[in-house]
Amino acid sequence: MRYIQFIQPNGRSASVARLGGRFGSDGFQNEVSWLVGSARDQFPVDLYEDKENTYVRAELPGVTREGIAVEIIDGSLSIAATRTQKTGAGEETEKLSRLVSIPDEVQADKVTAAYENGILTVTLPRKEEIKPKKINVSVN
Amino acid sequence: MSFLNTLIPNLNGSRTEAAPERRPRHQIREDEAGYTLTVYLPGVTKEGLEITDENGDLTITGKGTAKLPEGLSVLHRESSDAAFRLVIAHDNTIDAEKIGAELKDGVLQLTLAKTESAKPRKVAVS
Repeated sequence: MRYIQFIQPNGRSASVARLGGRFGSDGFQNEVSWLVGSARDQFPVDLYEDKENTYVRAELPGVTREGIAVEIIDGSLSIAATRTQKTGAGEETEKLSRLVSIPDEVQADKVTAAYENGILTVTLPRKEEIKPKKINVSVN
Repeated sequence: MSFLNTLIPNLNGSRTEAAPERRPRHQIREDEAGYTLTVYLPGVTKEGLEITDENGDLTITGKGTAKLPEGLSVLHRESSDAAFRLVIAHDNTIDAEKIGAELKDGVLQLTLAKTESAKPRKVAVS
């Protein structure tokens, strides 16, 4: 198994809204990886949202709970995990990681994660919108 | 099926063409006593899983992962809701009475013991 970590230089400006209709025939290498890191040999990731939160759901069957690392780096969510399997006498360790661009600003200190039935769900609370300020302009 | 899966059929290691069922990612290891079959089934619970052994075919079927709670909208989707089916033909070389199954953290592990006749035998030369 190859271990790829792909970090798009402009990852922080990635916006999910640009996903639709922009895949080319080589869509994998450009748009998809641009959005959610390199997809081949990695785990599937879903992105959902409701009014308050953005949710990242990653399929990570059989990984060690202690080995799951979730970090917010520069507006992206980094998920890393390891899977150890017994192979007869020895053990085989598989390293998995993925970088997901988060569409909105999140409250990085309030991010939570849960692992159940092989699925990691990361809840990212959105930053409260700054209320629009009204500026009075005096016209002479 | 998500748009992404039609674009990259092998994204989650299984065949996700137009078929309504998908074949989950799996591995088989063999030793002298039998086989260990590991099937990756993220999000699948014991209740959503059925394992049958009939006419030399071991079949693992089940429903896809649980539906989303209401009020959530999808921004990006790579996983599949499709039901899954995995058929392993073993030609009765395993003992159906001794199949062991364990589901943990989305990984199903089946231990399949070889029948006595399927085990390697040494033939003494007189």
